[in-house]
Amino acid sequence: MISYFKTVFTSSWAFVAGLGITLRYMFKPAVTVQYPTEKLHPYPPFRGALLFDAATCIACGLCAKACPSSCIALAHQVNPETKKRVPKVEWYTLDLGRCNFCGLCQEACPTKPKSVWHSLDYEVVFSTRDEMVRCWKPGVPLGGRVWDPVAKDFREPRGHLPASASPARK
Amino acid sequence: MFINMGPQHPSTHGVLRLGLTISGEVINKAVPDIGYLHRGTEKLMETRSYQQCVVLTDRWDYCSAMPNNLVFCLAAEKLMAVQAPPRAQALRVVMCELNRIASHLIFLGTYGIDIGALTPFLYAFREREMILDLYEMLCGARLTYNYIRIGGVAADLGEDWVAKCREFLEYFKPRIDEYDTLLSFNPIFLARTQGVGIIPRESAVAWGLSGPNLRGSGVDYDARKSEPYCGYEAYDFDVPLGQTGSCWDRYFCRVQEMRQSVRIVEAALARLAPGEIMAKGVPKIIKPPAGEAYAHVEASRGDLGIYLAADGGAAPYRLHVRAPSFLNLAILQEMLVGRKVADVIAVMGSLDIVLGEVDR
Amino acid sequence: MSRDLGSSRLWPTEVWSRPWSLPRYRAGAMWLGGIAAGIVVIGAGVGELSLWGDRLLGLLGRFGLPPVAVAWIWVLVKLGCVLGVIVANGLWAVWWERKISAHIQSRFGPMYAGGFHGWAQTIFDTIKLLFKEDVTPAAADQPMHALAPIVAIAPCVMAFAPVLFGTELAAARLDMGVLYIFAFAGISVIGVVMAGWASGNKYSLLGGLRAAAQIVSYELPRGFSVVPVLMFAGSLDLAVIDRAQAGYWLGFIPRWFVFYPVVGQVSFLFFLIASVAETNRTPFDIPEAESELVAGFHTEFSGMKWSMFFLTEYGYVLLSSFLLAAFFLGGGAAPLPFLRFVPSWIWMTGKAMFMMFVFMWFRWTFPRLRVDQLMDFNWKFLLPWSFANIGLAGIMLWWMLR
Repeated sequence: MISYFKTVFTSSWAFVAGLGITLRYMFKPAVTVQYPTEKLHPYPPFRGALLFDAATCIACGLCAKACPSSCIALAHQVNPETKKRVPKVEWYTLDLGRCNFCGLCQEACPTKPKSVWHSLDYEVVFSTRDEMVRCWKPGVPLGGRVWDPVAKDFREPRGHLPASASPARK
Repeated sequence: MFINMGPQHPSTHGVLRLGLTISGEVINKAVPDIGYLHRGTEKLMETRSYQQCVVLTDRWDYCSAMPNNLVFCLAAEKLMAVQAPPRAQALRVVMCELNRIASHLIFLGTYGIDIGALTPFLYAFREREMILDLYEMLCGARLTYNYIRIGGVAADLGEDWVAKCREFLEYFKPRIDEYDTLLSFNPIFLARTQGVGIIPRESAVAWGLSGPNLRGSGVDYDARKSEPYCGYEAYDFDVPLGQTGSCWDRYFCRVQEMRQSVRIVEAALARLAPGEIMAKGVPKIIKPPAGEAYAHVEASRGDLGIYLAADGGAAPYRLHVRAPSFLNLAILQEMLVGRKVADVIAVMGSLDIVLGEVDR
Repeated sequence: MSRDLGSSRLWPTEVWSRPWSLPRYRAGAMWLGGIAAGIVVIGAGVGELSLWGDRLLGLLGRFGLPPVAVAWIWVLVKLGCVLGVIVANGLWAVWWERKISAHIQSRFGPMYAGGFHGWAQTIFDTIKLLFKEDVTPAAADQPMHALAPIVAIAPCVMAFAPVLFGTELAAARLDMGVLYIFAFAGISVIGVVMAGWASGNKYSLLGGLRAAAQIVSYELPRGFSVVPVLMFAGSLDLAVIDRAQAGYWLGFIPRWFVFYPVVGQVSFLFFLIASVAETNRTPFDIPEAESELVAGFHTEFSGMKWSMFFLTEYGYVLLSSFLLAAFFLGGGAAPLPFLRFVPSWIWMTGKAMFMMFVFMWFRWTFPRLRVDQLMDFNWKFLLPWSFANIGLAGIMLWWMLR
């Protein structure tokens, strides 16, 4: 008999305690962020979309070898007179659709500062498969260009975070 | 009557198809149908270098990726007879235990939703967000870290990382008590989970369960205690055990494990001394000598093991993963028979499977 | 318009240690205080709505229409008001539920639709539902499928006839108001069973029957827990019950039935729990959650038909809130004597909204009960103790009257 009432009271008290917790949290400020009017800035080591600088690249190909998803392809320049290999890149492509953002290419790059590195851009969205492939030639800005099959020409990628928003390269 | 709890379902915690044959309310046969998330990682790894394989390991149990990295690196280190330096070992312990907390928070939230309590899920993710921030500060990624490498770890801590981690731990300790009040000892939750889905000791051992599923049935087995790695023998922590093997026991084991993980992280942070984070003599191109090695760790979901066969080349010759969720899932074939339909979700949720690990 | 939050994000440890330093927290508090003050000022300015009703009726009489026509127009006006209340409740309650659940869960809820805290969210959701295709399964019983939502919602609207919205502010002054409300609320069960039957799906049928069993079972403790209130008030008329709770003990404790020792609290709790079960809300919402594995009774209904069931649920929540306020929380009476300048309809609505908040609070805190546990709880706990409660009320009444 006593244990019956004891059970009733302990159960009721457990319910009231649970209600108290939710009520307390109701009066605390919310911790979420109103995307897209407020955006969070990732921490500096964040591995976002990749950027490439053709000016510092020496076309060693270590990044292409390091990538587990085979998403990097490049070709080095050839000196037309001596037919010798120039340590500069002729073209460089990066398939962001295959990239798994592991950072191995960034670690493998031997130049200082690194020629391929992760920016803080996490808003990497595409509407077509073609937009995933970024292409560089010497002189193309750090975000690369995408091939537009309709206009049959390269264009700037849309909605790309400017490289100036990223921290300094390692 | 045959009911398909299909691959897309709010409660299967991934793409799992459960074929149930029922008559009225009672289940006669339950067949788990897996393979919807199979990516062939074991085969892929045969053509990837060891550095690249670590990236693939992240994707098995994606809710807690650090132990995946760790077990692969331990197997390779065994072959190469290399040991990570003490600071790297302490960092490995910190990261794996934080990941255990993060993974059990997901379990807590999703199990609460399965039982009908919709709020602890948001609380669990609020806490998990802080852990993910800590990982982001450290290695740049929030889910698939690629952090624990063969020979050590990839990056060292920033200046304020330890302070932030301690801030999180101080914040988190009272939260576990709140989860207990809100969910664990809530009479409705107790009525739904105690006495339900009982796995006797013999069944648990016979079916190869591991992790909190095994310990919930009272079997005291934890890879951290039985075959310590990364210096776990030096840390003082308890291994929570359940009594009856009911859903509640498994659930409460995980909650207690979160408390113990907090203890371990604090001890490991206190033990951090300045030093190297990568062993000396680990080459850029890793080619372990030919041989076979088996390494296993206590991952968040159970005993995760890697059997690595190397042939001296730059890629593993063959790799097999002993995935805990794969074996934990199998017991559903025995456990669900004779139960009511209403209990299926509670029982399945208490096993805490992740399909990335089941299917690899 | 993108505002970078800087390189560090606010952890809960930083946000909660000093909430009042956050501008948005202060702004939210000021808005809430302002809205409450605004309601009080408007209420005090408008005064008792029943007086405005009398004036409107007098105005109608002055147009020289025959009295029958005036009576019919007056009935239509009252009907329009009640329907307006129910529809407005559908819009308001859904938004409020989303906001309350969000803040319990440390997030914001609707913020975008309509600008200020997403107030228009439900309106836009309703418009979206109107555009949805009405999918009726081929195996379904077509006329039943169309009738089920109607049979579910019509009694809900009718049950609002004697509900008191303030002193003398009911659509119909019925001397058996309580009986009428419980009778009509019970008819919706037929709509639920029809929905389960008309889905053409074995498991929807079982789900519908299970829901019907739950609703019918919980009607018993619900009715029995109101019996002490009827005994103390001496009438089934809601206006008499309201008047019986006017006045104060010792000058400042209101004579609400919830404050009567033991009997008041027990009746209040049992009526609250039974109402939560009646309206199929968590912790008793297995019929809706059963759609995880087997179909719930309204799975095969889409678009406007589904939203009829949804409106019915929120309509019954509103009905239960108003009943709780009328039976136990004193109806239109002010809690303290000096607050009587605020009219009764504000107090009534405020108390009903507080009870609705309690409904939502329960939903977002507790897990759900399994069907057999639910039935156990009703027949083995609530019903016997509600009988004991009636006995205790009888003893108390005898002691008060001797």
